[in-house]
Amino acid sequence: MKPHLAAGLTVLLAWPVASVAQGQMGAPAEPSVAGSASGRDQPPVMPGGDNPSSATANPILHVPVSGLRPGAIAPKVDLKNPLEGDKDAVSRGMRDFIQFNCVGCHAANGGGGMGPSLSDARYIYGSSPANIFLTIYQGRPKGMPAWGETLPERTIWELVAYVKNLQEKTSAFGKTISRKPLEPSREMVPSEYLQTPSPWNFTEPFSSGMKPNAK
Amino acid sequence: MSLRSLLVWIALAVAPATACAEDLNSMSQDPKQWVMPQRDYANTRFSPLDQINASNVGQLQVAWMFSVGTRRGQEAAPLVIGDTMYIISSYPNKVFALDPTNGDLKWTYIPNQNPSAQGVACCDVVTRGLAYDDGKIFFVTLDNHVVALDASTGKELWVAQTGDINLGETTTAAPFVVKGKVFVGISGGELGVRGRITAVDEKTGKIAYIAYGTGPDKDVLIGPDFKPPYDFMKGKDLGVQSWPADTWKIGGSSMWGWFSYDPQLDLLYYGTGNPGPWNSAQRPGDNLWASTLFARKPETGAAQWAYQFNPHDLWDHDEIQENVLVDLDFGQGPQKVLIHPGRNGYMYVIDRASGHVISADPYDTVNSYKGVDLKTGRIIPNEDLKPEIGRTVRDVCPASPGAKDWQPSAWSPRTKLLYVPHQHLCMNFKPSEVGYVAGTPFVGATVDMFAGPGNYRGEFMAWDPVQRKKVWQIHENMPVWSAALVTGGDVAFYATMDRWFRAVDAKNGTKLWQFHLGSGSIGQPVTYQGADGAQYVAIMTGVGGWPGVVANAQVDPRVRNAALGFAGAMQDLPSYTQGGGTLVVFRLPKQSGNATGGTP
Repeated sequence: MKPHLAAGLTVLLAWPVASVAQGQMGAPAEPSVAGSASGRDQPPVMPGGDNPSSATANPILHVPVSGLRPGAIAPKVDLKNPLEGDKDAVSRGMRDFIQFNCVGCHAANGGGGMGPSLSDARYIYGSSPANIFLTIYQGRPKGMPAWGETLPERTIWELVAYVKNLQEKTSAFGKTISRKPLEPSREMVPSEYLQTPSPWNFTEPFSSGMKPNAK
Repeated sequence: MSLRSLLVWIALAVAPATACAEDLNSMSQDPKQWVMPQRDYANTRFSPLDQINASNVGQLQVAWMFSVGTRRGQEAAPLVIGDTMYIISSYPNKVFALDPTNGDLKWTYIPNQNPSAQGVACCDVVTRGLAYDDGKIFFVTLDNHVVALDASTGKELWVAQTGDINLGETTTAAPFVVKGKVFVGISGGELGVRGRITAVDEKTGKIAYIAYGTGPDKDVLIGPDFKPPYDFMKGKDLGVQSWPADTWKIGGSSMWGWFSYDPQLDLLYYGTGNPGPWNSAQRPGDNLWASTLFARKPETGAAQWAYQFNPHDLWDHDEIQENVLVDLDFGQGPQKVLIHPGRNGYMYVIDRASGHVISADPYDTVNSYKGVDLKTGRIIPNEDLKPEIGRTVRDVCPASPGAKDWQPSAWSPRTKLLYVPHQHLCMNFKPSEVGYVAGTPFVGATVDMFAGPGNYRGEFMAWDPVQRKKVWQIHENMPVWSAALVTGGDVAFYATMDRWFRAVDAKNGTKLWQFHLGSGSIGQPVTYQGADGAQYVAIMTGVGGWPGVVANAQVDPRVRNAALGFAGAMQDLPSYTQGGGTLVVFRLPKQSGNATGGTP
């Protein structure tokens, strides 16, 4: 095996997808919200001075994972995806999602499997862009790998943009599951027929385990 | 008699502990006990007990229940050794010792394993069970720790590590004890692991040897004794030569299913899993020794013969299924064979001394192959369905989980039929190139499964291996993902994912009894005789496994490609059941009242 140290990835085979991934590793790691300590070639500079956990210098540290706030004090920041407004970020995120094997666990269109679904409304560790960024960057203890040492921050933000696009937008508080009447009543067009970064825009009647409606 | 010698005497009288595997073999013949998940080395899952029979099984009642406290899939078999029952839960693999007649809890053991293991388990965080020998209970955690416990106290005796989650390795197979060695598999055919079995000394926990599923002959333990039954498996280092450069190192060929053992021939049998990745274009060649049945000497691991069911597998057709050792009479006296219900949809009868295929007949809808050539030993792929990168191949049958997955069948020496729980699914399959990143999936395919022709998804059937035909079948709405059990009372038991536990007449498949469980079941039913003389039947509920994650985890049934494509076939499962692990034990009513309550 040939360890690709710069990437922190063990890429055994030079498949085209892996090559693209390696090519990205040299890209500047901006934009960033986690302070300026994102460059991989220089020693990190801590804007918080001697205190690397300075929340003043690292706004992302203000992003809570818990829904409980002692004293009912609201979080200080509402961090946006720095790629917001970049129309291609979602498509690049879809490509990243496949290249880095996110698809292997979370499935095409984010249906889940080894990892939880990304197509449902609620995310276990929060669904704000910064929540998703941190979940990818840090990993989570029940099986989400920590990608922060492997992927450039820009790639992670692209993934955030794509994942937000997979999330169901719904006004309902909960959901009903029923055979009669049939709930859910819709399913995504399966990805062997349609690959799109916006799968919730393409649905068809729920098929209850039977053959999909072939295109 | 002093108190001390009295205690020793009592210990000797009640302890089931015995000194060697030969004794485990004779213990397995005792109808009162159930000492390994497969019941016996031959993997028959047949109990001679006949107190419960076709005429009274309709009166079965719940005797007691026990929650194992986890909501993911429960695939383990309870073991009954002496006056104790042992069960193991899905991750985090808690082990419980219970009184088999009333469910009193004797002890609990909770391993402290790495929760991140859950993220590299391809198909739910299941375990297929425990092993027992010489006063010890053995099991393997999802994060690859083999643990030996004192069977009477639950005290930890030794722990050995046999895999690494950062290489995508987990363990789900039940261990198997032969001649003082604990045989342990490895899972991760979807994460580019290098498959193997590990033999661990049952007294010390030291690794005795490893037999790999890919690589040079010295790693696969192929030596001068190796006599493959067909020419395509003859040659040096085929576990390297039948792969593109170095890809055998991440070629899967794992082992997460069933071992069996023939004490007369002194051969250990097991099959290996799929080659990785699923995208076959990345691994031209036969990909030995994936999807291969091995016969090995248990002391050294030396391979005696092997038979590759699916050279250059195209569809994720692992062949880790049970190999049931039976002696069949084809008209010229008893012949030592094994029956292997293949994931590829063919029912194999194989000479278990030599590895030659005697017959291979489809037992479900198969269009991905066109038969097995008995001269060359090779299965014949259907070229019309050849996968190509970026193209969706439609209506491939059987689907990736095959006509049968892990769920083991049962053999009755009374009816001479094999009782086979299995699924009936087809799929759309779209391969794509995939890069290897250690510890992440290595699949390269978009899959979408659905009910096979007739719009049913599972079947429980009886197969006559001499006549080479199905004798009867029961179609089920869902894949039948539980094991089968058959008894001397000529009753066959199985359970369904939509929560039914069923008893049927082993002779003709007539439904005799059913019970609506709390959760769907993918468990292994067992039967035993309690100290009170009553016959009990026990099964774990707790839906899950590869098809069940759509009901027991956060998987979206509206996304057909979820769960490696199995969500497509199981979209409506959450409308029948949720997860939830409970052991349920049944018996006939006591003469003077009912068995459900009991006197306080």
